[in-house]
Amino acid sequence: MLNFFKKTAIASAMCLTAGAALAEYPEKPIEVIVGYSAGGGTDVMARTAAPFIEKYLGDGASLVVKNMPGASGQIGVTEAANADPDGYTLGTFNLPGMMARTVDRKADYDKESFTYLANVVNDPNVIVTAKNTGLDTLDKLLEEAKANPGAVTVAMSSLGGDDHFALIKLENATDTEFTIVPFKGSAPARTALLGGHVAMGILNISEVAEFQDQLNVLGVATKERSEFAPDLPTFQEQGLDLVNGSMRGFIAPAGLPEDVQAKLIDAFSQLSSDQEFLDAMAATANPVEVVTGEEFKQLTADLHELAKGVWETTPWN
Amino acid sequence: MYSDLLHALPDVFAWTNFAAVVIGVIAGIVVGAMPGLSATMAISVLVPFTFGLEPLVALGLMAGIYNGAMYGGAIPAVLLRIPGTPAAVATTFDGYPMAQKGEGGFALQVAVVSSAFGGIASAFALMLLAPPLSKVTLLFGPSEVFWVAVFGLASIIFLLGGNPVKGLISACFGVFVSVIGSDPIYGNDRFTFGQLEMLDGINIVILLVGLYALPPVIDLLETPLKTDGVSSSKLGTQSLWKALPRMKSFWKTWLRGSFLGIWIGILPGAGGSMAAFMSYNEARRTSKHPEKWGEGEPEGVAAAEVANNADTASALIPALTLGIPGTAVAAVMLGGLLVHGLQPGPMLFRDNPDIVFGFMWQFLFGAILLVLLGGSLATNSFARLLNLPRPLLGSVIIVLMLIGVYSIHGRMFDVYLMLGFGAIGWVMDRLKFPLPPVVLGLILGGFAEENLRLALRIGRGDPMILFQNTTSLILVALTIAVVVGPTLKKRYIDSRKKA
Repeated sequence: MLNFFKKTAIASAMCLTAGAALAEYPEKPIEVIVGYSAGGGTDVMARTAAPFIEKYLGDGASLVVKNMPGASGQIGVTEAANADPDGYTLGTFNLPGMMARTVDRKADYDKESFTYLANVVNDPNVIVTAKNTGLDTLDKLLEEAKANPGAVTVAMSSLGGDDHFALIKLENATDTEFTIVPFKGSAPARTALLGGHVAMGILNISEVAEFQDQLNVLGVATKERSEFAPDLPTFQEQGLDLVNGSMRGFIAPAGLPEDVQAKLIDAFSQLSSDQEFLDAMAATANPVEVVTGEEFKQLTADLHELAKGVWETTPWN
Repeated sequence: MYSDLLHALPDVFAWTNFAAVVIGVIAGIVVGAMPGLSATMAISVLVPFTFGLEPLVALGLMAGIYNGAMYGGAIPAVLLRIPGTPAAVATTFDGYPMAQKGEGGFALQVAVVSSAFGGIASAFALMLLAPPLSKVTLLFGPSEVFWVAVFGLASIIFLLGGNPVKGLISACFGVFVSVIGSDPIYGNDRFTFGQLEMLDGINIVILLVGLYALPPVIDLLETPLKTDGVSSSKLGTQSLWKALPRMKSFWKTWLRGSFLGIWIGILPGAGGSMAAFMSYNEARRTSKHPEKWGEGEPEGVAAAEVANNADTASALIPALTLGIPGTAVAAVMLGGLLVHGLQPGPMLFRDNPDIVFGFMWQFLFGAILLVLLGGSLATNSFARLLNLPRPLLGSVIIVLMLIGVYSIHGRMFDVYLMLGFGAIGWVMDRLKFPLPPVVLGLILGGFAEENLRLALRIGRGDPMILFQNTTSLILVALTIAVVVGPTLKKRYIDSRKKA
């Protein structure tokens, strides 16, 4: 009997607080967990976006960015997945990395653990070659890869990341074979390319925009030419269907109250038309492509399928 | 390429940045003067607190501390015959006899001017050599970096002096620690026991604070206070302007010591104490009256002190250009740079010229400030520091350590890890295992593994890729020389003794 009273009391208390939260969301600061250290690409995105989200949530909303670096973002995203779904804990989300981690190791979250708010950044992949290779067009590169399977070494920032998936897509589309050299991050990979220690590299456009005279940039994996380097051709223009990139966005734990979710998604969707925000992102070399809610969820599911498929045929560890 | 150097200058004089250097130098002298507390320890305890600061404020503090501590070690070396830092051992040889003769004040003045000379020479070396070297670093691919790491490990094991077997064991422990975490290529967990906190491996600052700060603090609390040193009233101090003319004959020693210190600083592995010994020996060998050395020869103090400051800035040359820190202090400073999103390597000079060149200027001004701050204060105030109550000092350091390590990632796990390493460090210290190879083992072991595996992938499994170019072969030859050299020299001396 007492137990029953207790349960009812707790349940009604919860309803009351939940009701209160719904009515005035947000009534306290919202924490945004960033799984990387301050100053990195994901952190810059979160900090750049925060004041604009505050503006669109209105009512003196405040977003507090909290860095929980470690394990390629896994510590932070796990924390966000396990947080209370009350709208006061959000997290940053990276694709395809976060989905690849559910495939290549035991992760404490899966694609159902989140409420998908918005993907904000899409940094497309580019293929570059070192100057000393003489492989200065896509045709020459593919010819070499076909003539000597595995002879072309490819620098990238890690296995199971966007660069890796771009290479797999390239290999499948052109029936070629390359040797992967996974550096620890894109900066050392780029340095090795500049020194000519590896022949080819798959990087992101924001990482090579300033190095166009020191590397051969063969193409960009987008549907349309990127604003960052409008003079660089896409692969589709060159007859190769290769679209891939590194995506960064925002999630909340699964089970967010519907009106909170709607309010957040509404705030995020306004980012794409805010010129001030777009300028701020352009200044930090972050190509914006806002995809919200269901569409973002579908995008994640697609990438999860891709990662699973790749893992089954060519596991990377 | 040097125009960036001038462009960075105005920022250095922003008052916060300059104040950071001044505070750093004073703090460095204090830390260096405390026996057992080293520059490495001070900077590693400090790094977590600099996360929120502007890069040049944080780096200025570090540059100041490094310069200050290298001189500060001379104060107890002269007054008590206790080297304040390992690099000040050679300073005791002539510094303490001078103090006994009532020339302690002059000995400290020689030490401070020599330290400043060495520091200035080293800062110039960093400014002039690092920018052109950063262009050459593109020559260093995975196989070359692998050999640099092997060379650095070999030199710390065989050149540190003492027992190479113990050095090797220490280095192996460090290399083992470098293996913890996800492996650099495939991301498989190694020795993480399922702890998410261990996936990224062991943070160098946590290891450094544990190894370098905990054992000396325990010592500090254990050993009772002795005040049988020379009291400041018996120092026989005169004004620095009167003392300077007596030093003008040291210029040869200063130049030689600077050159040795700069060169040893650039080589990964070796550090200030080796530079000081080599400089002292060379100066004595070429002296006109070597029999007076060890009985209070001011030139001996000059030789040791100029060299142990001359390696400070030059030790950063490989760290800034290649991203390979050759000493523990350089490793911590590199950690400080990374915290502020500054990735070492050739891109550093291109992307953040104002910060990297500003940092170099801060080294130069830190060295110059030594004369002003150290010279005017050293003779009186710093000597009194030695009388601070040790339990108070020890507990303050422990609190700083705990807060600092906790604030790196905001988790208690790291604090326990640090205490664990501290316990291991204390046991190793008691058993006379050298600690620097542990740190270098962690840093260079990681570099060696990652780059070996990358090189083998580039060579598609063929180990000959490691011997395919001149840079690699030169590094292999240097490594062999470091390993075999000391043994051959010993045999040669033994055979001469028999003959």
